[in-house]
This record gives sequence, C-alpha cells and structure tokens, in this order.
Amino acid sequence: MNRTPAAFSFRGLALPALVATSAISALGFVWPFLISTPQARPQWLFALAVPSALLLLFASVSNDKLDTKSIALLAVLAAVIAALRPMGTGAVGIEPMWFVLILAARVFGPSFGFLLGALSMVLSAFLTGGLGPWVAYQAFAAGWIGLGIGLIPRNVRGRSELALLALYGVVAAAFFGIAMDLQFWPWTLGVDTQLSYQAGAPISENVDRFISYHFLSAMAWDLPRAIFTASLIAITGKPILHTLRRAHTRAAFFTPIEFVKAQASEREKEERAAQ
Amino acid sequence: MIKFSNVSLIYPHSTKTIIEDLTFSIQEGEMVLVMGETGSGKSSLLRLINGLVPHHTGGILAGDISVDGISTREVKPGSLAHIVGIVGQNPLNGFVADIVEEELAFGMEALNFPHDVMRKRVEEVLDLLGLNAVRHRSIATLSGGEQQRVAIGAALVMHPKVLVLDEPTSALDPIAAEEVLSLLHRLVHDLSVTVVIAEHRLERVIQFVDRIIYIEGNGETAIGPAEEVLRTAQLVPPIIRLARALNLSEVGTSVREVRRLTDDIRAQTFETTEKIAVSSDVVIEVDELTISYGNHRALKGISTKIGAGEIVAVMGRNGAGKSSLLQAIVGSQLATKGSVWVHQKDPALLKGAERRRSIGYVPQEPSDLLYAQSVRAECAQADRDNEIAEGSTFAFLSRLVPHISEETHPNDLSEGQRLALVLSIVLSGNPELLVLDEPTRGLDYQAKNLFALALKEYASTFNRPVLLATHDVELVAELAHRVLFLAEGDIVADGSTLDVLLSSPAFAPQVAKVMSPKPWLTVSDVVQALEQQP
Amino acid sequence: MKRSLHPLTMWIWALLLITAVVLTDRAWVALGAIGVATVLVKVRSDGSPWGRSYWIALRIGAVILVIRAVVGVLIGVPIPGTTLFTFPIIDLPSWMPGIRLGGAVTLERLSSSLHEGLIIATVIALFGAATSLTSPHKVLRTLPFFIYEIGITLVIATSLFPQLAQSARRIRLAQQLRGHEKVSWRGLALPLLEESLSRSLQLAASMDSRGFGVSRKRSRYRPEKWQISDSAVVAFTLLVSSALVLA
Repeated sequence: MNRTPAAFSFRGLALPALVATSAISALGFVWPFLISTPQARPQWLFALAVPSALLLLFASVSNDKLDTKSIALLAVLAAVIAALRPMGTGAVGIEPMWFVLILAARVFGPSFGFLLGALSMVLSAFLTGGLGPWVAYQAFAAGWIGLGIGLIPRNVRGRSELALLALYGVVAAAFFGIAMDLQFWPWTLGVDTQLSYQAGAPISENVDRFISYHFLSAMAWDLPRAIFTASLIAITGKPILHTLRRAHTRAAFFTPIEFVKAQASEREKEERAAQ
Repeated sequence: MIKFSNVSLIYPHSTKTIIEDLTFSIQEGEMVLVMGETGSGKSSLLRLINGLVPHHTGGILAGDISVDGISTREVKPGSLAHIVGIVGQNPLNGFVADIVEEELAFGMEALNFPHDVMRKRVEEVLDLLGLNAVRHRSIATLSGGEQQRVAIGAALVMHPKVLVLDEPTSALDPIAAEEVLSLLHRLVHDLSVTVVIAEHRLERVIQFVDRIIYIEGNGETAIGPAEEVLRTAQLVPPIIRLARALNLSEVGTSVREVRRLTDDIRAQTFETTEKIAVSSDVVIEVDELTISYGNHRALKGISTKIGAGEIVAVMGRNGAGKSSLLQAIVGSQLATKGSVWVHQKDPALLKGAERRRSIGYVPQEPSDLLYAQSVRAECAQADRDNEIAEGSTFAFLSRLVPHISEETHPNDLSEGQRLALVLSIVLSGNPELLVLDEPTRGLDYQAKNLFALALKEYASTFNRPVLLATHDVELVAELAHRVLFLAEGDIVADGSTLDVLLSSPAFAPQVAKVMSPKPWLTVSDVVQALEQQP
Repeated sequence: MKRSLHPLTMWIWALLLITAVVLTDRAWVALGAIGVATVLVKVRSDGSPWGRSYWIALRIGAVILVIRAVVGVLIGVPIPGTTLFTFPIIDLPSWMPGIRLGGAVTLERLSSSLHEGLIIATVIALFGAATSLTSPHKVLRTLPFFIYEIGITLVIATSLFPQLAQSARRIRLAQQLRGHEKVSWRGLALPLLEESLSRSLQLAASMDSRGFGVSRKRSRYRPEKWQISDSAVVAFTLLVSSALVLA
C-alpha cells in the first residue's frame, strides 16, 4: 500500500550532510577555545566556512527530499516567524519567534524544525540588517533548537507536554544566547581586552573569560528571552498546538493511498442475474 | 476523454463514503457542470480527475478513472499537468510567483520545457485571455476577474485537453463572471477543450453546459443533459423554478428559451400592486462622504439616508467603493471629508460593548471572527460578551441550522454553517444595525434561502436596517427593498430594488430578463401576480 | 539605466569592497565605502521592505562600534601614550578573573578601539547595502538548481509577507467590530494562523497539480542576462579595490 509523502525528514545523504555541516559550524562557534596557535584571523576563515556549510546542507536537502506540502508549510511558518522577529521592537530579549518555532517543531517533527529555524533566520535577515556571514551562524543555532525538540518523547500530551516545551524554551533561550555571544565574541571585543580570548592560552582561562563576558549579556538578554519564551509557550501553547495539529492532519502526510477493485453495482448484478 | 468506472471514494480516517459507485464518461469538447449541496463531494470529484485525490490527499479508491486513456492510478498529479489543468476555488492561494508572466511560466519551467516553447505559449495565452496589458504587474494588485483569468491562463499554458474549475465565478461581479464563462464557452467550441466546472450559482452557467452531474445529498448521482437533470433536481436557479411554477411543458436553460415559452403570459395585462412603503425613521445618514487613500479617491462626496427596517443592497463592480462605504458606516475608516451618522452618533467613536450593540458586522471572511476551538465555545463566548442567558446563541444557531453539532471545530463547518454561526454571534448582541460584506459567496441555494429568511426576520421584527454589499443579483431581488449602485466612487443609482434592477441589463435578475417588460423580479412576484388575476 | 542590473552584480561589488576594506585596514577606505554605499542605496531606494536592511545594518554597525569603544576603554589592555582622562579603578569580585575596570584612558587606546569597530561596522553595512540593492526575488531566481526547493520555499515565503499583513489588518477589524476593542492575541493569532496554514495547503495542491517535482531538470523562462553594464560595474570595482590594496 502506498502512502502520500511524509513530512520532511533528514534521510539518505541529507543525514550525514547534516552531521558534517553541523560539525563545521559548531567549530565555527567554539574555535576560540580549541585553536591555540596564534593565527592571523581564524574568524575570517570561519566567516567563509559556515555559510558554505549552510549552502551545502541546503543543497543536500533540495534534491527531491522536500515535497510540496512541506515546502508550503515551511514557507508560511517561516514567514510568520520572520514577521514576528522584528516585533520585539529591539526590547532586550523580547523575541516572539522562539515559541512558534518550538511549537511548530513539536508538531511537524525535528527535521522540519531544523529547516524551519534555519529558513526563518535567513528570511528575517532580508527584513533586518541584511544577509551576511552571521546569518549562517544564526541559521544553524536556530536549526539546532528546532532539531532538539526530538529529545522530547513523542507521545507526551496535555499539561506535561506544555511543561516540557516551556522548559525546553528556557534551555533554548539560554543556548541561543550562548551561541550568539560565542559568535560575536571575537568581533565585539577584539583581541586586546581583558575579556577577549587569548590565542595560546589554556582552555580553562578562555572559558573563564568567556563566562565573564557572557554573564552581562546573559542578564540582559537571555533571562528575559527565557522568561518570555517559556511564558508564551505556557499561555499560548494549547490553542496553537491544536491549530498546528489540525493543519498537520489536513495536510494528510503519510496517508494511505489504496486502490481496490470496484464492487459491481446492484443494478449490474441484477442485470447479470436476469441474463 | 474522461471515464469513471464504478468509482467509490472514502478518505482514510473517516467512515463517510464520499462517492458511491459512480460511472460516467465525458466526451472531448463537452462542457459538464457538477452541482450539489456544499459538502456533497463536488471538490473531491473534480480532484479525482487529475489525481490529486488520492495521490495528494490520501484515500481509498475503488474503480478506475482514466483521462485521455491514462489511468490516474499509475501517475502522480503532476504527470497529468499537460492533460488536465485545474483551477481551484481561491486562485490567489494557488499562485507561486509575484508577476503575471512568471506565474504563467511556472508550470512549464517545472516540467523543463524548452525556452522558445515557453515564450511562444506565454504570448499565446496572454493574447487569448486579454492579459497583455497586465503582464508585468504584480498579481496581488489585479482585480478579482483578472486574477481568475491569470489562474485559468496558468492552466491553459500547458495546452491541456481538460480544464477543471472549482467555483470560478463565486467571487466575481456579474460582468466579470460573464466574461469568464464566455471565455470557457469559446475554449470549448473553438479549441475543443473539455471543461468540467463546479458551481453554486447556476444562473449564468446552465445555458452553456451540455450535461450536468448532480450529486444528491444521499450519495446518489444523476447524470444527463441539462434540461433533464434540472427538471427534477432540488437546488435549481430561478429560471428553472419559474418554469416549474408556471407548469411549462419544457424547462429552459437560457433566458431566450424561457421567454419563448412564456409569450402568452406576458401578453396578459396585470394590475400593478403597490409596494408597501417601509418606515422612514432615518438610522444612517451619509453626508457628502469622501474617502481618499493617498491619491486615490475611493468615494467622491456621496450622500444617502437609510431608514429603519430597510434592507439595502450596495452593488457595483469591485473597486467601485463598496467596501469603503461599508467601512465608513461601520466606523473603521475615517472620512476624509463629509460625515457619517449612525443613530446620530459618529460610528468611529464607538468602542467595545457599545459598538457591538450599535453595529453588527459580518465580514467577507466570516472565519475572521472565530477563534474558539468548538461551536459551543464560540456561542458561550458570545453569551458572555453580551451578558445574555447561557445557551441562547446556540439555540438561535440551531434554528438556522438544525443539525449542527456543538463539538465541531468552527473551521470544519461548511460555508453555510459557518455563516450561520457568525450571524448568530453577531445577532446575539442585538445590534441596532446589521452590515454584511459579500455574505453569500460559496453558499448553495438552500443555505441562501435560510440566510435570506433570517435577515428578513431581523429587519421586520425589530424594525432595524440591514446593509449588505453583494454581487448576487438574485439575492438582492429576493431580499432587498432598496439598491445603492456605486461606480468609481459615485452613487449611480439609489432607489427601490425594482427600479434599479430593472433599469440595468447586466444586473437584472433572470426572472426580470425573462419577463421583461413586466415589473417582476422573482418567481414569487410572478406567481403572486398570476394568482391575483381575476 | 541601472534598473536591469543582474542580481549578483551588487553582491560582487559588495564583496570586492569588503575585501578591500579588510585588507587595507584603513579608516578612510572604510568611511569612503560607507559613503558610496549610502549614496547608492538612497538613489536606488524603491520602498520595498528589504530596502531598510542597509539602515538597520548601519545602526547595528554603529552599536558594535560604540560597544567596542566603551569596552576597550573600560577593560582593554592599556596602550601607553597620551592620556585623555582617568577613570577610577574598580576591582571586580574575585570570580570574575582579575578584571580591572578603569585606569588611564589613552588616545591610542580609544582610537585603536574605534578603528577596529569602524572596520567591522563597515563590513556589516556593506552586507546590508548589498541586501538593500538587490531584490531577494531576483536573487532567489538565479540560484542554481541544486538548491531549487529551498529557493522556492524562500520565494513563496517572501510573497506571503504582504498577504500576512493584509490578513492581520482584516482580522483585527473584524475582532474589533465584534466588540473586543483591544484585540486579544487569541483573536488575532489563531484566525491568522488557521487561515495561513489553510492557504499554504491549497498552494501545495496547486503546485502538485502543475507538475512541481515531477521532473528533475528545470528550465528558466527569463534567464537573468549578464550584460555589459554588469561587467562594467564589476570591472570598475575590481580596479578600485586592487588599487587600494596594492597601494
């Protein structure tokens, strides 16, 4: 028995591509701790490598792995998220995009969630501040947040589901904060301040420096973001999950397609009997 | 060209059989109408033709469907794209590109057509549909009729042998609807394209079609030539009801045919009956109202008065200013010059509960108002908002739509049911004025009748005005006392329904066209006049 | 005249300028680049939503510049030279490893931080300029086939923005007229989401009907042509950049 295409998931070549490109971009985030030879500017190298990795990932996904329903749903949800993003009006940490991403990833699956996170970041870059290498970093970070939903067991529902998702929201907010600070660390501070990373210094020292650097921005951005996201999930989660699940059902992913032999109609049976 | 053999359809997670043992075949160059109540399976039938059902939606299909010799079992819908072109209900939702030209080329690009073939076909279709002037424009800026033509063009560009359309004229004003139907007629007769069309508003379409497939509510289907099926069908346009009411020997599908059959009736003389004058307490006063959006003047200094108990229809082409007028009266659009008074108050200053009590508004998309997860929750919300007894809104709704289930999600209701729900919610506030924007899109005749009755009851029982913007001429003939005709921001006609509708050939209802020059708008007018004959 | 530039031209322009700015590492080059970009963006602005990218990018760049300067002054490794003013020294708690706020602020320290900040701000601004100067529709249409599906997703998403805005306005109006003056989030978000999701499914059906995904290869109706004006722009920028770097 056949079925309609399933919602997008990383299969075949796309899966190793995901792992490999994630590794490269993860390196792009944490290289200040790992690369200890004083190079000229490793940040420029990664500014080239991470966007290329993203492109490669997109390429691996594009070959006939995305069915039309996934494309349409990704497009509309990414547009909603991207439209929500500037609505924080720059208030520190008030970012309305995460709760939608988390709820959508919960309904449509972690692979879908990864693509949704990445695409929303790329899309919102068109609306804010333009496309540059930093977008690729954000895309991966948001993608991993969408992917991480897979850690929550599938059949949890009701209050426990909301509680877990809200908790995940807090974790995701903190994670994104760390990721962004890691990304910007070399750029905002340069190499010659007391909190900059020191090429050649032992890992623990750099970690200390980073934590100090991160502490202030965590207070300013991460805390509000975590509270905001968790609250939004708790308050809006039930109806929005319901709406998303209805769409998921209507989309008829992975629905059976069956062809059976026709029963001759009553009339035909009578006709045949009469002959 | 299209062959259905013993086709039955069930969707995987439901128990309801959508189609039971359907067998028919459609020849090349035929134009076939699919009619039936909302929810009866018309859309499913259409989607079976190009394979969307079951390949896109899932489903259990018995029997065989073949188009031009190819069975839909074996191929995906996209592979049939060069044979079957399908135009959905809301063409705007099916557009992929922004510019007209790009939209036309999309299908061909996806199927890897060579460049010169694409160029040639796009030019052909632009000429055929008269879209050359708008080829570089953004689709979102086009009128409804133009968008519909772009959607048809996008399907035609593949040179399909079959064209399937789902309610193509529901959103169009009568003139644009005529254009689309004539275009389809031309395609059938000049290019021998097979056209399958599903429609609720049968008035204009039945004269063009060769055969009708009628999906009755109980799963039975009747297939046959137009006159045969219409003779006994339940949901029929006024022209058929007229023939039945007059006990004519034949049933005609076009105005011309029925005129020939009713020569003798028109030859008699009738007493003219006085129309009952409606109360003249002025409720709405519009004074030199001008509304401009930037450089564009939507309304150019119009003035009118609407009294209590009047049902007024606002008609005109899309873009004539109907929405602007309605929004000014409802208070959501500020006047650039001039004023609007509702019960001597400025509607723009109303807020909250006071607004709900003064003005009831049924928007073009009724689902804009709904946000609860079940019918029961919506009604309960309305009960709470208006501080009335629990359950009263639902009781009202059950009178309109008897078998509605409380637990259904509002967006799972049929069009008619949803409209009834929104109407109940709005009327539960007992507003002093009711304003409706295009309420009867997508409704079948039965639902429309119920709706018209509810409005008449509201207007006469409470002596309150009803204002509705609509394209539906037949509805206006049944329902409205007065018609305001807008064109390019001016009021071109403002008078009793009889006067206005009879004076405009394009906007006259079918009965009026048949019975011209007699002053009758509806079947009941004719029947009444005949009964009063000495 | 400049209207029919190939979408990649301005991106190449931006990348060449960025390379020049980074490699020459001089303030006047950076300021010059910003000046050119500002003029271009102003001249070619057409009110589209991504046109704001440049200005937002400039603001972000300015913020980073300020952060750099402030941070450099407060906790930077001191660079000896002309002292401008002195901050009082504040010792931070011991778990923030030996960071000392304050001390003498020298001209060299300040100008060094400003200089680095300027280079970074310029790079960000140039990316923003490239985004503002090309329509994403056009860029997405020139994307090579190997990311076609993702490209289509982005194209569809960008055309949804105006639709979303319109729907939101309509729904707000309906809710207000239902008497909810301050439209609750439920009243706006849920109908909007329902409608958008429903529309996207209709779009999917339409795409399937028209043959999307059937053939692996796709042709192009109006391929973006690379013209002389594009080569001219690229060549000129290349010349200027090389001159700056080699000088």
